[in-house]
Amino acid sequence: MLTRRIALCLAVSAATFALAAPPAWSQNFTKQVHIIVPYAPGGTSDIIARIIGPKLSEAIGQPVIVENKPSSSGNIGADFVAKSAPDGHTLLITDAGTLATQPNLVKKLSFDVQKDLVPVTLVMFSPYLFAVHPTVPVATLAELIAYDKANPGKLNVGTSGVGSIQHLTAIVLAKKYGIKWGIVPYRGGAAAIRAVVSNESNVIFNGALATMPFVAQNQLKGIAVSGDKRLPGLPNLPTFKELGMPIVETGSWQGFLTSKGTPAAMVARLNTELRKILATPEVVNKMAELGGDVKTSTPDEFGSWLTKAIGEWGEVVKAENISLD
Amino acid sequence: MDLIANLATGFAVSMTPANLGFCFLGALIGTLVGVLPGIAPITTIAILLPFTFSLPPSSSLIMLAGIFYGAQYGGSTTAILVNVPGESSSIVTCLDGHQMAKQGRAGQALAIAAIASFVAGTIATIVIATASAPLTWLALKFNAAEYFSLMVLGLTGSVVLAHGAPDKAIAMVLVGLLLGLVGIDVNSGAPRMTMDLADLGDGIGFVPIAIGMFGIAELAVTLGKVQDRSLLAVKLKDMWPSWAEIRQCIPAMLRGTALGSILGVLPGGGAALSSFAAYGLEKKVSRNSAQFGRGAIEGVAAPEAANNAGAQTSFIPLLTLGIPGNAIMALMVGAMMIQGIQPGPQVIVNQPDLFWGVITSMWLGNVMLVVLNLPMIGLWVALLRVPFRLMFPAIVLFCCIGTYSAGNTVFDIWVMLLFSALGVFFYKVGAEPAPFVLGFVLGPMMEENFRRAMYISRGDPLVFVERPISALLLLMAVVLLVILVLPSIRAKREEVFQE
Repeated sequence: MLTRRIALCLAVSAATFALAAPPAWSQNFTKQVHIIVPYAPGGTSDIIARIIGPKLSEAIGQPVIVENKPSSSGNIGADFVAKSAPDGHTLLITDAGTLATQPNLVKKLSFDVQKDLVPVTLVMFSPYLFAVHPTVPVATLAELIAYDKANPGKLNVGTSGVGSIQHLTAIVLAKKYGIKWGIVPYRGGAAAIRAVVSNESNVIFNGALATMPFVAQNQLKGIAVSGDKRLPGLPNLPTFKELGMPIVETGSWQGFLTSKGTPAAMVARLNTELRKILATPEVVNKMAELGGDVKTSTPDEFGSWLTKAIGEWGEVVKAENISLD
Repeated sequence: MDLIANLATGFAVSMTPANLGFCFLGALIGTLVGVLPGIAPITTIAILLPFTFSLPPSSSLIMLAGIFYGAQYGGSTTAILVNVPGESSSIVTCLDGHQMAKQGRAGQALAIAAIASFVAGTIATIVIATASAPLTWLALKFNAAEYFSLMVLGLTGSVVLAHGAPDKAIAMVLVGLLLGLVGIDVNSGAPRMTMDLADLGDGIGFVPIAIGMFGIAELAVTLGKVQDRSLLAVKLKDMWPSWAEIRQCIPAMLRGTALGSILGVLPGGGAALSSFAAYGLEKKVSRNSAQFGRGAIEGVAAPEAANNAGAQTSFIPLLTLGIPGNAIMALMVGAMMIQGIQPGPQVIVNQPDLFWGVITSMWLGNVMLVVLNLPMIGLWVALLRVPFRLMFPAIVLFCCIGTYSAGNTVFDIWVMLLFSALGVFFYKVGAEPAPFVLGFVLGPMMEENFRRAMYISRGDPLVFVERPISALLLLMAVVLLVILVLPSIRAKREEVFQE
């Protein structure tokens, strides 16, 4: 009897499962979900995806697979998600580089960030620490401007690449304050830090947490921090806002997106699940260790954030006539 | 003695049963990953990263480090057996290692690779424990100008690598240089020779080139020849190198270790250069340099020692400066940060047990690798006896899977097949792939650093000779060139006199 009951149960559950297996436009998850990281393993986006992946899998009852489709600016992975089935089962996690600067820099982009991708939620924001090599004899922004006037050609900003937010930040500040620093692109933020710590270049804007220990060990000298909140670890450093600097909101941020045409209910479900995960103290702490504050949003808020960011950086790119193709 | 106290602190951490277990696990996974071509250690570490979140920081780093050096070790196995290099560092191992395998001496080649790696690993551990400070200082002295000069020296040296005609080697370096430039230029952001293909934006991948030109091309060439399989039927007792052979290799191992230890510390290009440099040096100083490229056992020992030493000392900038020297070290930074440890100079002061624990675990890991690998040699050699009709398709399949998994793109498989064809062509015209690959790897770094140095000096080329280390490296390159050219000048003069 027992066996028959089990068989019956199995048959019923199989039937329920078949019935419950909803069409693609419903808000349930019917198969494994892929999170596409458009960068090589080990970057911030990758680490976030790997923290969130297992938790998302638990929440939706389907396996979640993190897949790297690396390219320097994230365009290949983003293009892959843009062209995936619009069923909310393929997610993109990427950063300001792919989402805000590339659309301005590359005219022949194979997809449109705002048209071919649907924002789900913001994930994290981390401010930039603005620092110099200790041999540069300045301690404040005013002194740095004066030093550059007196010693033209001595300052070089190490950035994570041409057209990166760091690069554009250096351009905006150069214009605003008449600083004539050189801008030296490197292959990524870590290479830029190495260069500035070894005094190859001597000015840097880089993720606060990654840069802080060098300031603490006097291998770099802090000047300011972007955003409007002072860093608890370096309470003496003024913020961009206090100094009246432009582009207060410069920094790095990450968000989740999915393919265009994904039903609104599905996007809403993803948004709810991801924000629930991002609100747990465990995840908040892990993000803090990565150097950022969890910053979530509704899909609409993220959409307006994208419009604003693309517009702002677009002005800088146009004014400077920077192009990557 | 601080050193002994420090090492004692370290062993207290690394010798706990749990950490010994993680060290073994890391070394084992690393070996497997290294043996399977194309499944890069970086992918493995990324996949395993979430599992380490719940471990104590020391255990997690010990395991991840084990994967890294285990893979360096495992990579030489496929290089020797089937001429498929897993990483740039094992390309050099292909040169003589695979020749040895073809002569039925695969066992000796594998054993000497294991022994050389162990010797280098032991010495490198001592180097990290005692010489971190001066090596860190050296790494910070290396700026764009020094990197440029180092690459010039490396490329000059690569011509020495070739055992054929130097003109062909130079041509191959130049072709490599040219192909290395494909992709988005770091300094200007302009795409070069990408034919508007997004897949070429980051340049041609290294993995498809290496697997295609060495692995598949070698297979194709072998297929075109009559097989003599009698060589492969070796008895177990003939698999071990004789004591005389080991003794012959000791100086090569020591020189390789020294070169690898120094070059490994330099972020970026250093590690890629170390095995090439060790091979080149050995070829110049060895008494049987004529054997190089034809199965010289020192030609396996020196680069294997260098790449293992380099793999270990590449932890120095990470642990002392918090600066990752390569992509895998960048992943380690991520692993440390998730554990709440900000890598940097403060680690050694604030968490000496972690720092010394990881360093001593490297030596323990090396012991485990030898224990793990020496008994496996019989198994690997037995693999060679698998009939070609089964082995070849399997290798091609593994090469395709490996190439795909390195970048998750089918495009790379086409690139690999293209370079397989090119590899066969190069073989037919008698041009060697090693200088090509070196040009491909070092050329773009040379260009990038040249332009960066020129930009920072605002166009003053004297920067390359005003900085002492850079000047010294350039001088060495000039001396090397003179040594290269002299014998041929002498030979020509003798020809003239004979007439």
